[in-house]
Amino acid sequence: MTPNRRGVDELSFGLSFLRFPDLFPGRRSGEPWGDRVLALDVAGGPYLFSGLSPEQEEAVRRKFGGLCREGADEAVSTRVFRAPASDFAEVDVRGWEYTLDMEHEPASVRLAGLRLMARLDWTPGLSGGLWTSEGAGEEWTSVFENYLRVLTAHRLLEEGGALIHSAGITDGERAWLLLGPSGAGKTTASRLCLERGASVLSDDLNAVRLGEDGARLERLPFTGDLGDRSGGPSLHPLRAVLRLNKGTVEGTRPLTPAGALAGLVAAAPFVNRDPWRREALLAVLERLARSVPAWELTFSLGGRVWDILRQLPP
Amino acid sequence: MSPLTRSTVLRRRSDVRYRRIEGEAVVLRQAAAEVLVLNEVAASVLDLADGERSVGDWIETLAGEYDADRDTLERDVVEFAAELFEAGLLEEP
Repeated sequence: MTPNRRGVDELSFGLSFLRFPDLFPGRRSGEPWGDRVLALDVAGGPYLFSGLSPEQEEAVRRKFGGLCREGADEAVSTRVFRAPASDFAEVDVRGWEYTLDMEHEPASVRLAGLRLMARLDWTPGLSGGLWTSEGAGEEWTSVFENYLRVLTAHRLLEEGGALIHSAGITDGERAWLLLGPSGAGKTTASRLCLERGASVLSDDLNAVRLGEDGARLERLPFTGDLGDRSGGPSLHPLRAVLRLNKGTVEGTRPLTPAGALAGLVAAAPFVNRDPWRREALLAVLERLARSVPAWELTFSLGGRVWDILRQLPP
Repeated sequence: MSPLTRSTVLRRRSDVRYRRIEGEAVVLRQAAAEVLVLNEVAASVLDLADGERSVGDWIETLAGEYDADRDTLERDVVEFAAELFEAGLLEEP
């Protein structure tokens, strides 16, 4: 018998990371690591984490600094649980690009990754459960951040915004969003802007929020090589969206709204492959593509990129 | 698929999602990571591919909408339909 596509997906979910995918938790329950509670002020939040051990809380505080506080009302809640190391497969990560395994349902999303299992549930509000064998240190904060990225992506979409794989550049007032796949030059362009006096919100992931007063870019603690991981909220009117190209002749050409929308959808991680939330993503990003000028920017290592951004017509 | 003719009937695959925006269309497929941008005529072909109307019906409809040379339009529609089929956006019912 040949299973249908749904059957294939169900059978393959988690196989790369979990020894017993069939035993994936069906609801948010288990043995907590401890009784510590911590809230993070990240775009779409606050996000409240309970069930942490003292070591886990300390590691999160070290990594996210000023974004942490004791607790929060009206927060998106996640409970953290122990999972035995024997639940997770040994993965040889040499030369390997880490991609979380995800399975989407109308009211839930399941995640599997390196030493992590997690689920997001809409009941009807969004909440989460995170199971891991990591109790401290960088391994734990890596698990935590990988989960938080997915949670933030879904929460932002729920609020009419989006998480965008991008570089966010600001002059302190306005912001520019630079798009492109890995290797397109987001970090290089960010560094060139930084050298000319701009600030970099993040060269990896940024939050776009849409409101009555237009599109705004908000800093996230998810950085690559550049950006401030633990700085407070920073919200800037979005001046333009730019799709990056490296080349020898610097310049810009207008992108059609459809070209901008295609670039934005491709750059919206986690939710852009979720069949249950794609319509919402398309609607949000279409609003963004229609409301903000978009350009294709070709830049070289000559360093004029910051001048080009500032001189873009409205 | 047998060669595409005016009598061929095709439909959009169920996992195709798209958005019309200022004439063009942005297309996503669940089963693939890429995001495609289609021009106006190709986007209209996607609109018309309902699994009931034939390629000939599409041509008649589009001939009423576009002030284009009939032979050129017919050639474009057949080419776009074949490309969209190859790209996995259209399928036979």
